[in-house]
Amino acid sequence: MNGARGEAGVRASGALVLALPKGRVMEESLAALRAAGLRLEPRGAGRALSYDAGDALVIEMRNADVPTYVELGVADAGVVGKDVLMEAGSRLAEPVDLGLAACRLSLIRPRGATTMVERVATKYPRLTAAYLGRIGSGAEVVKLTGNVELACLTGLADAVVDVVQTGGTLRDNDLEEVDVIAHSTARFVVNRASLKLRSDRLRPLIEALRRQPGAR
Amino acid sequence: MSQGALPDGTRFVLPDTAARRDELRDLLRDLYHAWGFDQVEVPSLERYDPNHPRAGQSFKLADRDSGVLALRTDFTPALAQLVRAAHPAVAGGAQRPVRYQYAGTVWHAIDPELARTREFTQVGIELIGVSNARADAELIHLARESVRVVGLEPRVEVGNPGFVRAAFDAAGVPGSLRDLAADAIDRKDRSDLSGVLAPAGLATASVDALLAIPDLYGGNEVLAHARTAIPWPAALRELDRLEGVLREFEDDSELMLDLSMARRLSYYTGVTFRAYTPDFGQPLLGGGRYDGALLPAAAGFSLGLERLMRAVARRRSVSETEPLVLALDDAGARRLRAAGVRVVRALDVEPAAVRREARDLGIPFVLVDGRLEAVDPAAGAARLADLEAALVGDGGADA
Repeated sequence: MNGARGEAGVRASGALVLALPKGRVMEESLAALRAAGLRLEPRGAGRALSYDAGDALVIEMRNADVPTYVELGVADAGVVGKDVLMEAGSRLAEPVDLGLAACRLSLIRPRGATTMVERVATKYPRLTAAYLGRIGSGAEVVKLTGNVELACLTGLADAVVDVVQTGGTLRDNDLEEVDVIAHSTARFVVNRASLKLRSDRLRPLIEALRRQPGAR
Repeated sequence: MSQGALPDGTRFVLPDTAARRDELRDLLRDLYHAWGFDQVEVPSLERYDPNHPRAGQSFKLADRDSGVLALRTDFTPALAQLVRAAHPAVAGGAQRPVRYQYAGTVWHAIDPELARTREFTQVGIELIGVSNARADAELIHLARESVRVVGLEPRVEVGNPGFVRAAFDAAGVPGSLRDLAADAIDRKDRSDLSGVLAPAGLATASVDALLAIPDLYGGNEVLAHARTAIPWPAALRELDRLEGVLREFEDDSELMLDLSMARRLSYYTGVTFRAYTPDFGQPLLGGGRYDGALLPAAAGFSLGLERLMRAVARRRSVSETEPLVLALDDAGARRLRAAGVRVVRALDVEPAAVRREARDLGIPFVLVDGRLEAVDPAAGAARLADLEAALVGDGGADA
């Protein structure tokens, strides 16, 4: 079986459904889930967006879509960064901090900039607006989806709010981190109904994930 | 007048959907009626109250006298007002049960993201004027039956925010951190909870006990876990209250416990609950006890009919409600309708045109000059015989 599709949706098989973000976090999440005892086969050569990995059906998506799939119950659980969760404002259970993909969400400006911030570009408009409100700034927020550093370099905005992992990109582009707004790590998130209705499978998984190195 | 799009988060309801919604609504109304809940209506327009818990989500309108009105966001405040007017003794604290049910449209001025509509139908009940375990259990019984009556398998989770509140009091969690701590507990997020509590400088044993709360959900065994993990007598008394409610159930197999339910700590004062059904990822119904918030003793729940319809649609085919007969003959049509058959009045008058009209509308039978005939060969002879019996008013066919 290669993932149930069509009218009945991914739920038809009765398997646990996991929403995982594409890219490196997906590999790290799969490793953490395997270490926690889930038997998960690597995906075959196909390009299917969902596949039966053994103990769970894995659906692969953009980071920012994970909260939606889990909140509406299409997926029972998933892995997503706290930065994305805070931006989405989702009501999910977040029982495990996996400690993966640690980063900061920061206000970034061209090095040495001292003028008042008037326009901030970001992929996180809600968090940015809340932050600007907190510090009493009247700056406007521009939502971008791609490389927000570019906004600073081209003069589209005089500051950006974005995630910073090592700071390498900032140094390369002569930008500096002015203020840290929040810290983020990847979280194992669970649909609130699934947490209760499928607890026979999810409780042991949550316990095992918490015992992984770096998780809590 | 604009011919443009509908306002965000609103929709048309086509006949199939309207029929199914009414069917569910009737099932629920009959259920609550059978348990002694009388139907009441309250205005859709309310005076805007900035202190209403959903004030930020209300559509506001300017009244002609420069007052501000709001479309109702839920029924509870208006029902409390109704009780204050109709039952002043109960509103003044007299112990006498008032059982009301309601149904109607509510409006939420929210971003219509995540499949949320801004105009939807809410159905619910309130049991006012009593505050004890039997009253709480009655509502939980009805929450369970509300899911069962529409053909779904119920699961009801029960919690008591009073438990979290008592734990906060006993541990000395400062008021400024309570909302954040309650939110972390409600999200089962121990990592965030320990971060929130860190600046409070609480005793290590208190922090350990608070960090146990997010995991206190599951079956009845949760109560025993809580009694070993939580040292505070006041919090344990809140568990006694919950156990008193559970003792009211002979069969508690469809009940679950969640002691980390901690939303709206300042509103709910006793037991709260939510109903689910397997394989549907959103709660179908929610409610609880809110003594003192609007009335001295009050509890209730509400459910969103549109969400319930989505859950039902996954499980069950639509009941047969298509019109069955196209009639040219008014007297015969009246007899068929009296027997419960859906009969559409023909717009054409020539028998051949009426048959064509029936085929166009997908109606399987026509009634022309007092005679029934099938236009759709697949309609079946047995059904034709049943209709003929109804046409001659032969109620006692077995005589």
